[in-house]
Amino acid sequence: MSLVTSIRDSSAYKVADRYKKLVIAFLLIIFLFVLGEIVVETFFSFGQILLTIKLAAFIALFGLCQMVVIASGGSGLDLSVGYTATMTAVFTAAIMDGQNANLWMAILVALGLGIAIGLANGVLTAYFKLPPLVVTLAMANILQGVINVYTAGRNITGRPSPVLQIIAAKSSGMFPNILFILLILTPIVMIIMYKTKWGLKLFGSGSNETAAYLSGVNVKMVRCTAFIISGTLASLLGLLLLGNMGIAFKDMGSNYVMPSIAAAVVGGVSLTGGDGNYLGVILGAIFLQTLTNLLVALGWGDAGKWTGFGIVLFVLLIVYVSNRRRR
Amino acid sequence: MTVLEATGIRKHFGGVVALSNANLTCRQGSITGLLGANGSGKSTMSKIITGVYSADAGEIRYNGTPVRYRNPNEARKNGIAMVFQNLSLVADLTVWQNIVLGAEKKKGLFLNNRAAIALSREIVDQLLPGLDVRKMVHELNPGEMQIAEIAKAISEDPKLLILDEPTAALEHAQVKSLFDTMRALVDKGVAIVFTSHRLWEVMEICDDVVIFRNGANVANVDFSKDVKDPEKIVDYITGEAGKAKIEKSRRTVGDDIVLRVNNLNYGRFLKNIDFELKRGEILGIGGLAGQGQRELMLALAGNYPGVTCDVELNGKKIKLNRPANAIRNSILLVPGDRQLEGLFLGHSVFTNIIFPRLGLRRQPLFTPEKKYRQESQKVVDVLSIVTHNLDMPVNSLSGGNQQKVVVGKWLPFHTNVLLLADPAKGVDVGAKRDLYEYIVGQVKENKMSVILYASDNEELIGYCDRLMIMYEGQIVAALEGEEINDDTIVATSMRVDIGRGK
Amino acid sequence: MNNDSALKRLVSNPDFSRLLILILMFALTAVLQRNFFAMKSIVRNINSFTPLILLTMGQAVVILSGGLDLSVGTALSLMTCVLTSVMKEGAPITGFYALGVTFAVAMAIGMINGIGIGYLRIPPVIVTFATSFIWLGIALFLRPTPGGQTVEWFQAFYKIRNVEGSPPFLDALGEIVPPALILVLIGCLLWWVVSRTKTGRYIYAVGSNSQSAYETGINTDWVQMRACMINSVFIFLAALFFVGQNRSGDARMGDPLTLKAIAAAVVGGIALTGGRGSVYFALIGALIFSFVSKIIFFANIPNAYQTLFGGVIVIVAIAGSQIYTLSSRRTVEESKLT
Repeated sequence: MSLVTSIRDSSAYKVADRYKKLVIAFLLIIFLFVLGEIVVETFFSFGQILLTIKLAAFIALFGLCQMVVIASGGSGLDLSVGYTATMTAVFTAAIMDGQNANLWMAILVALGLGIAIGLANGVLTAYFKLPPLVVTLAMANILQGVINVYTAGRNITGRPSPVLQIIAAKSSGMFPNILFILLILTPIVMIIMYKTKWGLKLFGSGSNETAAYLSGVNVKMVRCTAFIISGTLASLLGLLLLGNMGIAFKDMGSNYVMPSIAAAVVGGVSLTGGDGNYLGVILGAIFLQTLTNLLVALGWGDAGKWTGFGIVLFVLLIVYVSNRRRR
Repeated sequence: MTVLEATGIRKHFGGVVALSNANLTCRQGSITGLLGANGSGKSTMSKIITGVYSADAGEIRYNGTPVRYRNPNEARKNGIAMVFQNLSLVADLTVWQNIVLGAEKKKGLFLNNRAAIALSREIVDQLLPGLDVRKMVHELNPGEMQIAEIAKAISEDPKLLILDEPTAALEHAQVKSLFDTMRALVDKGVAIVFTSHRLWEVMEICDDVVIFRNGANVANVDFSKDVKDPEKIVDYITGEAGKAKIEKSRRTVGDDIVLRVNNLNYGRFLKNIDFELKRGEILGIGGLAGQGQRELMLALAGNYPGVTCDVELNGKKIKLNRPANAIRNSILLVPGDRQLEGLFLGHSVFTNIIFPRLGLRRQPLFTPEKKYRQESQKVVDVLSIVTHNLDMPVNSLSGGNQQKVVVGKWLPFHTNVLLLADPAKGVDVGAKRDLYEYIVGQVKENKMSVILYASDNEELIGYCDRLMIMYEGQIVAALEGEEINDDTIVATSMRVDIGRGK
Repeated sequence: MNNDSALKRLVSNPDFSRLLILILMFALTAVLQRNFFAMKSIVRNINSFTPLILLTMGQAVVILSGGLDLSVGTALSLMTCVLTSVMKEGAPITGFYALGVTFAVAMAIGMINGIGIGYLRIPPVIVTFATSFIWLGIALFLRPTPGGQTVEWFQAFYKIRNVEGSPPFLDALGEIVPPALILVLIGCLLWWVVSRTKTGRYIYAVGSNSQSAYETGINTDWVQMRACMINSVFIFLAALFFVGQNRSGDARMGDPLTLKAIAAAVVGGIALTGGRGSVYFALIGALIFSFVSKIIFFANIPNAYQTLFGGVIVIVAIAGSQIYTLSSRRTVEESKLT
């Protein structure tokens, strides 16, 4: 056996392989920062980095929704997260009206909406076996329609409660508060995914739906639950978005959908399911935000951003997902 | 004139040797039969000739010139056509469209449909008059689909035609038509290789028969010279082993019935299955491959929501419509295809071993790592699973060790009935021995009951107390004690009467 | 031999039901819309239905080959932006340049999607999801806000009468047969030709069972690529119409059409799994979809509700069609597990 094959067969290599994607994501970020520094000075400054991470945090949180759904398998994807967040923001803005008093009610409403939307998505995809991409895309349309109906002939009123604004928009010293959320959430997510029975069921369903089923797991229910979690999370994120922006407006969440998926892909979440490391998603989010900043620094604006995202995602898909060798 | 001559063919898959020294000669205008037990190498041989696999060693001469086909297309272009069991038809096209697929004739820029339909009609009428070539393939019944497959192969005007179990799905009348067509082809000088699990068919249509055993051909029977003696042929298939009575440690099996199955039916795969399983017994399921054994195991594991049956476990009625039900009744399945059905390949050995607990009720929310790790380590030790540690991804283990994981994950469970679907398939000798040692040990110590399906008769002979033979979805024989030997197994599998008194 | 009566078989044939539904929707619309049968209304309806019809037919071809294209909407937008960027008002020749350049762009779009789906074998939904953003970005680059220039004669794609100096017989023709209809006919002609060639047959084969198709020696990658390029032609035709009508390019005009095209194809009987359905019936699906939208419009449901209903219709359409086609199909596979 040649040296190459014996290395490839060695167990050490196979373990290292799993962290490969994380390392690549990290390297990509460094690469971008270097590039940015060349193009624009002060690109690589502490303040800039913190700002990038703050904006990336939102992408990372939406990316969590995607990760849960994608990991459950069955070509899972959730394209409705954007409008779920927007809808919650629009409705709860009026409820809160700038006061803390009704915050609890807003949270309840957000939970209710999120669970309902997630349930609808979950049932249609897992039990009716409709393709998740089409279902969630249609759901996004429906939610957009509901928002249109609600805002027809009336202004979106209301402002977030100050608590939300503190969490989402403000910083403690130099440190954006939203990062605390991320820092607290991440270990919780990791524990749930890797150390609880539910996480095990999730990965099993995505990794090998047949083996999971034969082990007694109700795969359909697991996938439905994944969508419920995604919807609920997206809805709560709507509250945070509201807190960040100060007001609610119609397209608040749409700009996060694509990056959330891209972040998951960059972070190494396998699109067929069964695999996923949240750290990777966070790194992916930071990468995308850095890319955005770079494009903005180059003066390429919106057009550049979307083209850039599209190309980056396409290239990543080639590298990570392409099945060329199959036959 | 010799069309094909294959000499000294060797082929291995991983650690398993499929063919060690295989030879085959096909003559123009004659039908050669291929016979052999499961795993004897006969289908591997067909696949090598037709370019699906490539041989490790040996030579194939086609019309005198040495050839080495890299894929079925190459073989096809040279006049070698094949019909295999897994259908290669496109369900959403019509019969005639399938027949000309890939070789359409054109009229100018456009397809010449009229010619295609005419050609297809001509071929199909020989095989099955009355079959409308304009029907969509997904509207056909299995027999008609098989005919369409054969028509497609014939349409390419082959010089050598390989038919691998073409009669499996056909009714009697259709078989007759097929044989007529084969004779017509033979008259035109085509050479045909024919395999079937129905011995009488082989004896009827073939001019000579090549018998495979253990990866080599052991006999050639030329029907123009020798007498057609089924017993002798079965002898060749099983070899000396058929005569020897294998000594095995007799277990005393009580009369306690742990599982009673009545009237189990599932679509066209399982029909009227009745049997009883005694406590502490190893009940085997044998027969030729694809007769419903795999489906029976899956059905008993609760895998088919649509199965109808009357099942009692320890006297209590149970339902087998969900895997979780089977698992909660401690009927545990070791699935046949470990990669597709039994393992989470990207995940660690540890994860794979503890996964089945999720099928039980009231599992703790947080996986008790320490406790589970201890139990998993015990599994690894008991079964001698070779792995650096529990966190290695399971796809880094060898096939045999992967299989040990698939079996071992049930170790910590109390098992009433262990369903083994070909547990030693593709597993090396050492791991095979470890596995069976463990299983037999459990049966002796804990009075566990086992239903064992194995494609290798040796395993069935060596370990089973009783053996049921399946044929076309039904149980056609139940062998006990002395009856469990190679000769009898093969004979009953092929529905041959060898004077057992049955 | 079937013992069902011919009538029973006819009724249970899904295509027959589709025709029935079409006639029903047609009738309902006729009832709700005043002057439905007036020439003006007919022309107006044809015009408003055309973009969706063309997009649906193109999408149908891609789905038949086993793919799915989520980038049709942004591709359409991009083509309108390219057209209006190349054309310069007052220079009729630039109209021809625009046609050439945009057609080349269309082919490039088809090839890139085709390479992703066919050659690289990335799951179609995700790869066209990615490319849709590339088209969007380029479109925004060309036309950050809707606008651009068109030449005078380009309006011929919408209304021949508007074009100065067009011969009177052409005007009269345009009165009876709106250019939109001609574009649809060109689309149908395109498919008619393709379906009679190897490519057409192979599109079905690859979509139905790409492994078997591959084993017969068919180059499945190429077939899927060609399907994407055929789709591009349909989108191109729709872009011509849109620019002819609106005389401007808009980077976001196509967004709502993507999902509708998929839904309309499914309503028309195209199975999302590939290999099943007819492009002509996809056209009928688009008609049904359009009539239903019109009915909602005329039932005096407030404007605001239309997006909402659009989404609901899509889900109902897809769910309904999936259930319908799944239950009437006999599978060729052996026993499956879950």
